[in-house]
Amino acid sequence: MEFELVIIGGGPAGLMAALTAAEKGVKTAIVEESFALGGQLRQQAQVLENLPKEFGKQSGIALAKFFSNKVSSIGVTALLGHTMIGTYRNGTIGVSNGKDTFPIYAKKILVTTGAAEQAALFPGWTLPGVMTIGAAQILLNRERVLPGKEAVVLGCNSISYDIAKQLRACGVNVQGIIEKKSIDEIDKELIEKFESENIEVFFHSNIEKAAGKQHVEKVWIDNDVLKKEREIDLVCISNGLYPVTEPLELLDCEFTYIENLGGRIPKYGSSFTTSNSSVYVAGNAAGITCIEGILVTASIAVTGILEDLAILNNIEAKKQKEILWTELLKAETGRYSKVHDARISLVNDFLPKEI
Amino acid sequence: MDKSTIVCKCEEINIDEIETALKAGACQFDDIKRLTRCGMGPCQSKVCTNMVREIIAAYTGEPMEHIEYPKNRMPIKITRLGVLVANQETSSVVSVFKESVSEVDTNG
Repeated sequence: MEFELVIIGGGPAGLMAALTAAEKGVKTAIVEESFALGGQLRQQAQVLENLPKEFGKQSGIALAKFFSNKVSSIGVTALLGHTMIGTYRNGTIGVSNGKDTFPIYAKKILVTTGAAEQAALFPGWTLPGVMTIGAAQILLNRERVLPGKEAVVLGCNSISYDIAKQLRACGVNVQGIIEKKSIDEIDKELIEKFESENIEVFFHSNIEKAAGKQHVEKVWIDNDVLKKEREIDLVCISNGLYPVTEPLELLDCEFTYIENLGGRIPKYGSSFTTSNSSVYVAGNAAGITCIEGILVTASIAVTGILEDLAILNNIEAKKQKEILWTELLKAETGRYSKVHDARISLVNDFLPKEI
Repeated sequence: MDKSTIVCKCEEINIDEIETALKAGACQFDDIKRLTRCGMGPCQSKVCTNMVREIIAAYTGEPMEHIEYPKNRMPIKITRLGVLVANQETSSVVSVFKESVSEVDTNG
């Protein structure tokens, strides 16, 4: 198989990039491990408020559907159930479909592998009934299975707010949100949102342990005031995300460590080119950001790819990138401003490898 | 925290086993991996990487950014051996051993 552009990961960043590239006539393929496109959007029932203008306001599920319909109608090859498992000696990527392993030749590779959820360590965290919020969302919104009846959520953030609201809407009693930080360290707007939903947040607390016979039955909340055990059958963990970067490691990209981007991260320049000049990165794999940031970084990477493939000339590409970087700044202002600052210093430090 | 708390779910490795490996001289994730199989199960250390790194940081007193990540090797996802060699023409088996081949090369 041979393509001009191969995208690793069919989530929002990969789909956004595939659409833009295919519109410009680039022969594009998406390598997607699961059997559907959309990535984590597929279980996000909440309305995404700040999408780029052309998308309006819609739920993640609707956006995933929109993207996958559009991508198949525009002639992008979607290799579902395919996983990049390695690289050949000459740098060609090796893909497996569970029956066979074969090379896919590509002029440019865009890695949009997204992020993984960070679990939290406490005695009993491996019990059935203790799960990340992503897992709870898959159960609720994709599989239509109620993950429990009495819940606590670990971590006070906008994602745990969404899941707490969704659990409630499905009849789950959310006993409270457990948050390590003190009340002053949390965004006031967010606290108000929890208050308006009547969801209690326990600040300065943590889960000491969870216990149960076959399934989680109790948690002990370590809080000076509370010191209480609670009977629950669901613990949702919202402990942040970190970038998934294995393919970039195999593609010999250089890495650095930036806490504000989610830890270990590939080095990249202003077009999201990595130190391997045929490999690009975008979305959460290039630093944990908001959905707008995911989509805009994908657009920037594609602009860089189109420029490299001589489909866009330098002047046009430069102009477009300037517009997109302004959009990215706007998207990452506020809650994600630290992410943006870290990104800017990463880009400024980037020196393309001498060939 | 209770030392019997499992850190690596796939291989059922607990805090005590990781700390024992550290006491035996392990410095990084990959050392612990070689001694205990921590991170070598189906998820390939997707879930436990940062938890183990935090335990190492706490033990050594080093900041998190100095604690190395486990090295990713081919195949990066669980793959049946038969799948790797299924198509003789495009067999990837040689690539899987690329690393050891190049090590031999450089060592002369």
